[in-house]
Amino acid sequence: MHKKQQEKRTDPRAKKCPFCDKEVKYIDWKDYPTMKPFVDYFGNIMKRYYTGICLKHQKMLKTSVERARFMGMLSYRK
Amino acid sequence: MPKLQPSSEDVRVYEVAVLYPFPINQKEEKNILDEIDTIFKEADAKLIESDKWGNRGLAYNIEGYNEGNFIIYYYEIDPLKIKEIDEALRILPGALRHLIVKPPKGYEVVKFSKDYQEWISNRETESERRTREKEEKIKKQVADKAKRQVKRTENEKKAPVKKSEATPLEEKKLSEQLDKIISDDELDL
Repeated sequence: MHKKQQEKRTDPRAKKCPFCDKEVKYIDWKDYPTMKPFVDYFGNIMKRYYTGICLKHQKMLKTSVERARFMGMLSYRK
Repeated sequence: MPKLQPSSEDVRVYEVAVLYPFPINQKEEKNILDEIDTIFKEADAKLIESDKWGNRGLAYNIEGYNEGNFIIYYYEIDPLKIKEIDEALRILPGALRHLIVKPPKGYEVVKFSKDYQEWISNRETESERRTREKEEKIKKQVADKAKRQVKRTENEKKAPVKKSEATPLEEKKLSEQLDKIISDDELDL
Protein backbone atom coordinates (compact mmCIF):
# COMPACT_ATOMS: atom_id res chain seq x y z
CA MET A 1 0.00 0.00 0.00
CA HIS A 2 2.70 2.44 1.05
CA LYS A 3 4.82 1.82 -2.04
CA LYS A 4 1.85 2.32 -4.37
CA GLN A 5 1.10 5.74 -2.91
CA GLN A 6 4.71 6.78 -3.34
CA GLU A 7 4.67 5.77 -6.98
CA LYS A 8 1.54 7.80 -7.68
CA ARG A 9 2.97 11.09 -6.43
CA THR A 10 4.05 13.46 -9.23
CA ASP A 11 7.23 15.48 -9.18
CA PRO A 12 6.43 18.83 -7.52
CA ARG A 13 9.07 20.57 -9.60
CA ALA A 14 7.31 19.60 -12.81
CA LYS A 15 4.22 21.75 -12.07
CA LYS A 16 3.51 24.90 -14.03
CA CYS A 17 2.11 28.19 -12.72
CA PRO A 18 -1.65 28.22 -13.46
CA PHE A 19 -1.66 32.03 -13.54
CA CYS A 20 1.26 32.26 -15.99
CA ASP A 21 -0.60 29.97 -18.40
CA LYS A 22 -3.45 32.49 -18.57
CA GLU A 23 -1.07 35.50 -18.49
CA VAL A 24 -2.72 36.97 -15.40
CA LYS A 25 -1.56 40.50 -14.62
CA TYR A 26 -3.56 41.14 -11.45
CA ILE A 27 -5.36 38.86 -9.01
CA ASP A 28 -8.50 40.59 -7.79
CA TRP A 29 -9.44 40.31 -4.13
CA LYS A 30 -13.12 40.15 -5.16
CA ASP A 31 -12.60 37.12 -7.35
CA TYR A 32 -13.50 34.37 -4.89
CA PRO A 33 -13.56 31.43 -7.36
CA THR A 34 -9.94 31.98 -8.48
CA MET A 35 -8.55 32.35 -4.96
CA LYS A 36 -10.45 29.49 -3.38
CA PRO A 37 -8.39 26.56 -4.75
CA PHE A 38 -5.19 28.05 -3.30
CA VAL A 39 -6.53 28.30 0.24
CA ASP A 40 -6.73 25.10 2.26
CA TYR A 41 -9.41 23.86 4.66
CA PHE A 42 -7.91 25.77 7.59
CA GLY A 43 -7.83 29.06 5.67
CA ASN A 44 -4.06 29.09 5.10
CA ILE A 45 -2.59 30.07 1.75
CA MET A 46 -1.05 26.94 0.25
CA LYS A 47 2.70 26.71 -0.23
CA ARG A 48 4.20 27.39 -3.64
CA TYR A 49 5.84 23.96 -3.48
CA TYR A 50 2.45 22.25 -3.63
CA THR A 51 0.57 24.56 -6.02
CA GLY A 52 3.40 25.34 -8.44
CA ILE A 53 2.63 29.08 -8.55
CA CYS A 54 5.53 31.34 -9.51
CA LEU A 55 6.85 33.84 -6.97
CA LYS A 56 5.36 36.87 -8.75
CA HIS A 57 1.85 35.44 -8.71
CA GLN A 58 2.22 34.04 -5.19
CA LYS A 59 2.88 37.59 -3.94
CA MET A 60 -0.17 38.88 -5.85
CA LEU A 61 -2.26 36.05 -4.41
CA LYS A 62 -1.07 36.85 -0.89
CA THR A 63 -2.18 40.49 -1.11
CA SER A 64 -5.54 39.58 -2.62
CA VAL A 65 -6.23 36.86 -0.05
CA GLU A 66 -5.32 39.22 2.79
CA ARG A 67 -7.72 41.85 1.43
CA ALA A 68 -10.47 39.26 1.03
CA ARG A 69 -9.86 38.09 4.61
CA PHE A 70 -10.19 41.62 5.94
CA MET A 71 -13.51 42.08 4.14
CA GLY A 72 -14.87 38.81 5.54
CA MET A 73 -14.91 36.88 2.28
CA LEU A 74 -12.24 34.40 3.34
CA SER A 75 -11.54 33.14 6.83
CA TYR A 76 -8.35 33.81 8.77
CA ARG A 77 -8.56 30.51 10.61
CA LYS A 78 -11.07 27.67 10.69
CA MET B 1 -16.10 46.18 -19.86
CA PRO B 2 -14.88 49.77 -19.55
CA LYS B 3 -11.25 50.46 -18.75
CA LEU B 4 -10.57 52.82 -15.86
CA GLN B 5 -8.78 55.96 -16.91
CA PRO B 6 -8.74 59.24 -14.98
CA SER B 7 -10.12 62.27 -16.82
CA SER B 8 -7.29 64.58 -15.72
CA GLU B 9 -3.85 64.36 -14.14
CA ASP B 10 -4.99 65.71 -10.76
CA VAL B 11 -7.34 62.85 -10.02
CA ARG B 12 -6.91 59.13 -9.70
CA VAL B 13 -9.35 56.22 -9.93
CA TYR B 14 -9.92 54.39 -6.66
CA GLU B 15 -11.92 51.31 -5.85
CA VAL B 16 -13.86 51.68 -2.61
CA ALA B 17 -15.60 48.67 -1.09
CA VAL B 18 -18.01 48.99 1.82
CA LEU B 19 -19.49 46.16 3.86
CA TYR B 20 -22.63 46.70 5.93
CA PRO B 21 -24.78 44.16 7.79
CA PHE B 22 -27.47 42.18 5.97
CA PRO B 23 -30.51 41.78 8.25
CA ILE B 24 -31.15 45.54 8.36
CA ASN B 25 -34.14 47.89 8.01
CA GLN B 26 -34.68 49.61 4.67
CA LYS B 27 -34.50 52.98 6.43
CA GLU B 28 -31.15 52.21 8.03
CA GLU B 29 -29.83 50.88 4.71
CA LYS B 30 -30.89 54.09 2.99
CA ASN B 31 -29.24 56.16 5.71
CA ILE B 32 -25.94 54.32 5.32
CA LEU B 33 -25.96 54.69 1.52
CA ASP B 34 -26.86 58.39 1.77
CA GLU B 35 -24.07 59.01 4.24
CA ILE B 36 -21.56 57.27 1.98
CA ASP B 37 -22.75 59.47 -0.90
CA THR B 38 -22.38 62.63 1.16
CA ILE B 39 -18.84 61.63 2.16
CA PHE B 40 -17.86 61.37 -1.50
CA LYS B 41 -19.72 64.54 -2.44
CA GLU B 42 -17.77 66.51 0.15
CA ALA B 43 -14.53 65.31 -1.43
CA ASP B 44 -15.69 66.27 -4.97
CA ALA B 45 -15.46 62.67 -6.14
CA LYS B 46 -16.89 61.58 -9.46
CA LEU B 47 -18.65 58.20 -9.64
CA ILE B 48 -17.59 56.03 -12.57
CA GLU B 49 -19.15 52.69 -11.76
CA SER B 50 -20.81 50.90 -8.88
CA ASP B 51 -21.51 47.27 -8.24
CA LYS B 52 -24.01 46.01 -5.67
CA TRP B 53 -23.30 42.44 -4.65
CA GLY B 54 -26.27 42.00 -2.35
CA ASN B 55 -26.15 39.84 0.73
CA ARG B 56 -23.43 37.24 1.06
CA GLY B 57 -22.35 34.99 3.87
CA LEU B 58 -19.30 36.12 5.83
CA ALA B 59 -16.40 33.78 6.53
CA TYR B 60 -16.34 34.83 10.19
CA ASN B 61 -18.50 36.76 12.61
CA ILE B 62 -18.16 40.56 12.35
CA GLU B 63 -19.82 42.55 15.14
CA GLY B 64 -22.36 39.76 15.62
CA TYR B 65 -23.35 39.50 11.95
CA ASN B 66 -22.89 36.38 9.86
CA GLU B 67 -24.12 37.94 6.63
CA GLY B 68 -23.36 41.23 4.95
CA ASN B 69 -24.06 43.46 1.97
CA PHE B 70 -21.16 44.44 -0.27
CA ILE B 71 -21.03 47.54 -2.42
CA ILE B 72 -18.12 48.39 -4.68
CA TYR B 73 -17.67 51.91 -6.06
CA TYR B 74 -15.21 53.19 -8.63
CA TYR B 75 -14.56 56.86 -7.92
CA GLU B 76 -12.31 59.52 -9.35
CA ILE B 77 -10.79 61.13 -6.27
CA ASP B 78 -8.08 63.69 -5.64
CA PRO B 79 -5.27 61.70 -3.96
CA LEU B 80 -4.88 64.41 -1.30
CA LYS B 81 -8.44 63.84 -0.07
CA ILE B 82 -8.22 60.06 0.24
CA LYS B 83 -7.18 60.26 3.88
CA GLU B 84 -10.30 62.26 4.81
CA ILE B 85 -12.54 59.76 3.05
CA ASP B 86 -10.81 56.85 4.74
CA GLU B 87 -11.28 58.47 8.14
CA ALA B 88 -14.93 59.33 7.46
CA LEU B 89 -15.71 55.76 6.34
CA ARG B 90 -13.98 54.38 9.43
CA ILE B 91 -16.16 56.51 11.71
CA LEU B 92 -19.34 55.85 9.70
CA PRO B 93 -21.91 54.13 11.95
CA GLY B 94 -23.47 50.97 10.51
CA ALA B 95 -20.58 50.08 8.19
CA LEU B 96 -18.70 46.96 9.23
CA ARG B 97 -15.67 47.21 6.95
CA HIS B 98 -14.35 49.36 4.15
CA LEU B 99 -11.41 48.99 1.79
CA ILE B 100 -9.84 51.52 -0.55
CA VAL B 101 -7.69 50.02 -3.27
CA LYS B 102 -5.80 51.62 -6.11
CA PRO B 103 -6.48 49.40 -9.14
CA PRO B 104 -3.49 48.68 -11.42
CA LYS B 105 -2.99 50.28 -14.82
CA GLY B 106 -5.37 49.09 -17.49
CA TYR B 107 -7.73 47.52 -14.97
CA GLU B 108 -11.08 46.58 -16.43
CA VAL B 109 -14.20 46.78 -14.27
CA VAL B 110 -15.60 43.32 -13.71
CA LYS B 111 -19.03 42.92 -12.14
CA PHE B 112 -18.34 40.15 -9.69
CA SER B 113 -21.97 40.00 -8.57
CA LYS B 114 -22.81 38.29 -11.88
CA ASP B 115 -19.66 36.17 -11.95
CA TYR B 116 -20.31 34.88 -8.46
CA GLN B 117 -23.85 33.82 -9.34
CA GLU B 118 -22.59 32.05 -12.46
CA TRP B 119 -19.87 30.33 -10.49
CA ILE B 120 -22.38 29.13 -7.90
CA SER B 121 -24.69 27.72 -10.59
CA ASN B 122 -21.74 26.00 -12.33
CA ARG B 123 -20.54 24.57 -9.06
CA GLU B 124 -23.99 23.13 -8.42
CA THR B 125 -23.92 21.43 -11.81
CA GLU B 126 -20.50 19.97 -10.95
CA SER B 127 -21.82 18.46 -7.75
CA GLU B 128 -24.84 17.16 -9.64
CA ARG B 129 -22.52 15.57 -12.19
CA ARG B 130 -20.63 13.84 -9.40
CA THR B 131 -23.84 12.44 -7.94
CA ARG B 132 -24.91 11.34 -11.42
CA GLU B 133 -21.62 9.51 -11.94
CA LYS B 134 -22.03 7.79 -8.59
CA GLU B 135 -25.56 6.70 -9.48
CA GLU B 136 -24.37 5.39 -12.86
CA LYS B 137 -21.64 3.38 -11.13
CA ILE B 138 -24.16 1.86 -8.73
CA LYS B 139 -26.52 1.07 -11.63
CA LYS B 140 -23.68 -0.68 -13.50
CA GLN B 141 -22.81 -2.70 -10.44
CA VAL B 142 -26.45 -3.72 -10.00
CA ALA B 143 -26.74 -4.70 -13.69
CA ASP B 144 -23.52 -6.76 -13.51
CA LYS B 145 -24.79 -8.50 -10.41
CA ALA B 146 -28.08 -9.34 -12.12
CA LYS B 147 -26.24 -10.72 -15.16
CA ARG B 148 -24.00 -12.84 -12.97
CA GLN B 149 -27.01 -14.18 -11.10
CA VAL B 150 -28.79 -15.07 -14.35
CA LYS B 151 -25.67 -16.94 -15.53
CA ARG B 152 -25.42 -18.77 -12.24
CA THR B 153 -29.06 -19.84 -12.34
CA GLU B 154 -28.65 -21.04 -15.93
CA ASN B 155 -25.57 -23.06 -14.98
CA GLU B 156 -27.39 -24.53 -12.00
CA LYS B 157 -30.30 -25.52 -14.23
CA LYS B 158 -27.98 -27.21 -16.73
CA ALA B 159 -25.83 -28.98 -14.19
CA PRO B 160 -28.43 -31.07 -12.30
CA VAL B 161 -29.99 -32.34 -15.58
CA LYS B 162 -26.60 -33.73 -16.62
CA LYS B 163 -26.10 -35.30 -13.22
CA SER B 164 -29.50 -37.01 -13.24
CA GLU B 165 -28.71 -38.43 -16.69
CA ALA B 166 -25.23 -39.49 -15.73
CA THR B 167 -25.89 -41.17 -12.39
CA PRO B 168 -28.16 -44.08 -13.46
CA LEU B 169 -25.83 -45.02 -16.32
CA GLU B 170 -22.86 -44.97 -14.02
CA GLU B 171 -24.76 -47.03 -11.47
CA LYS B 172 -25.63 -49.60 -14.09
CA LYS B 173 -22.02 -49.74 -15.29
CA LEU B 174 -20.76 -50.06 -11.78
CA SER B 175 -23.16 -52.84 -10.94
CA GLU B 176 -22.23 -54.69 -14.12
CA GLN B 177 -18.54 -54.37 -13.39
CA LEU B 178 -19.08 -55.50 -9.81
CA ASP B 179 -21.02 -58.49 -11.01
CA LYS B 180 -18.22 -59.30 -13.41
CA ILE B 181 -15.63 -59.10 -10.68
CA ILE B 182 -17.66 -61.20 -8.30
CA SER B 183 -18.43 -63.79 -10.93
CA ASP B 184 -14.76 -64.06 -11.83
CA ASP B 185 -13.45 -67.38 -10.68
CA GLU B 186 -9.83 -66.49 -10.96
CA LEU B 187 -9.98 -64.12 -8.05
CA ASP B 188 -8.58 -65.39 -4.79
CA LEU B 189 -10.21 -63.63 -1.99
